[in-house]
Amino acid sequence: MKRAAVAVAVLAVAVVTFLIVGRNSAPDPLQVTARGTHYAATVSIDRPTTGRVVVDVRLTSGDANSAALSAVMPTMGHAMPEITAQKPEPGHFVAEGEFFPMTGVWELSIRLNGPAGEEVLTVNAPITG
Amino acid sequence: MIRVLRVLCLAAVLMLAGAAPAAAHNVTVGADLRIAQTIAGTEVTVVIKGTKRVPGPLQIGVIAFQPVTDLPVALELRSVADGRTVTGVARAAYEPQYTQLTVDRTGPHELTLRAGNETAVVPFRVLVDRGSPIELLIYGGLLVAALLLIGGLLTGALARRNQAMLLTGGAAIGLTVAAMVVIFEPLLPASPPDGAPPTVAPTVGAGMGAGAASGTQTGGRPFAQGRMATLPARPAAGEEFTLRLDLVDGSTGRPVDDLVLHHEALTHVIVTSEDGRYFRHIHPLRTAPGRLEVKMRADRPGRYLAYAELEREDSGGQLITGEFTISGDTSVGAETPVEAVTPLLQPTAPVAGRPTTIELNTSGTPRPWLGMTGHLIIRSQDGTFLGHVHEMGTPGPRLRFTFSFPSAGRYLAWAQYATGDHIVTAPFTINVTASGAAQ
Repeated sequence: MKRAAVAVAVLAVAVVTFLIVGRNSAPDPLQVTARGTHYAATVSIDRPTTGRVVVDVRLTSGDANSAALSAVMPTMGHAMPEITAQKPEPGHFVAEGEFFPMTGVWELSIRLNGPAGEEVLTVNAPITG
Repeated sequence: MIRVLRVLCLAAVLMLAGAAPAAAHNVTVGADLRIAQTIAGTEVTVVIKGTKRVPGPLQIGVIAFQPVTDLPVALELRSVADGRTVTGVARAAYEPQYTQLTVDRTGPHELTLRAGNETAVVPFRVLVDRGSPIELLIYGGLLVAALLLIGGLLTGALARRNQAMLLTGGAAIGLTVAAMVVIFEPLLPASPPDGAPPTVAPTVGAGMGAGAASGTQTGGRPFAQGRMATLPARPAAGEEFTLRLDLVDGSTGRPVDDLVLHHEALTHVIVTSEDGRYFRHIHPLRTAPGRLEVKMRADRPGRYLAYAELEREDSGGQLITGEFTISGDTSVGAETPVEAVTPLLQPTAPVAGRPTTIELNTSGTPRPWLGMTGHLIIRSQDGTFLGHVHEMGTPGPRLRFTFSFPSAGRYLAWAQYATGDHIVTAPFTINVTASGAAQ
């Protein structure tokens, strides 16, 4: 009887704690792909949150020399400055900066330039935390 | 302990419930209604603070964004349901005193504002949250649990095993009830607050209505058709005139009287002279259903272009355009020249279709106006394009805007921000080049 009561109490406290702590924990990493005429890319954001974030772009098709990323939030009419991505290795671009000043669904545009020409790939980025 | 648990639990409920949807025309606790109005020649924002209960107090203040010396605004609050009316007077000021009116019931109301010889009628709803049985269960469960746990500990300390067991068991049940409610609460339909408009639940498989929720129709309400006119029809230079906007539903022909607050105003009207030397960003008064009016004057004769940004309920924002002519001798009268500013552009030669960042220094720290720190109005030279860009929270005395110019050409731009009791308008021009690579 006593053990059962203690077990139920501990379980209840654990559930509440899990819910409270769980909601506070970091959002899941984001990984989306986009395919255009000249290029295709996988876009990854380990921590899709407000504030400074690192956006990783890996080309799965095409050969781009440079990439510049910018975000807009269509529902609010917000637009953020374009940030030029670093190119640590061919086909891999990394951009760091404040892309998303508030939570919500943002549109992240990746402007790619290469021998095949310029193309903008756009992906949706739900920002939750 | 109870308070801590209460706070933790409330936090959990809020996190689970998510953010409340933006209330368009509703006055609720914690969600003030802010309405920009151009009244008596002054730019003000009327703030209606929410009330927790009815009958209860409703506080109304008028914030001035231009220098004023004692501008009284007569207030008349009327319940549309029973016609009961209360009156008061608010004084527009940089930091206004709030006038307290009494509101007797929830539901639709009209606030009539009178200043100078102008009158505006602002419709809104008073909403009061109903006491939630769910909250009662959560807090009740936690309270019972906490009390019984303390009792259990005390009786346990006094070696009364059976009573201690009983109390601890009760505490466990209380905690379990609270936890279960926290878990399942998001799955339960939320009851609308008192005073909310009626809604119709979607009918499964009902053709056109399928997929609609809360009485809204898939695709939203039809567009509003706008007709702009001046009174008199051809105002003279320097003479005060009224710019009128009549809104008609394109599907039914009835007046459109369901505008929601769009960036703290029913409508944002931009009036520029064809050459761009004249610029006004004003907020017309609702004088009748579907009718918005604002008094203004222009010092130089010529062609003027007007743009109205507005948003219908359950519909998207839209831009309505119009134009009028100011008559008079072209050799007399001149708009006070405003010194143009030189913004910092990135890239320095903006390219059509690519984001351009525009930065300016401000005189003093801007304070929020129309919900934002800064606004940038962009018009193409020929007036066929108008953009409205918002500042995105740059710290310090500067503004930063990002905008993708739709095509090459010369654009007229006006950056606006509020500081102290002034609205500063900084005009400049931007030349945009065509994107060779993107063609």
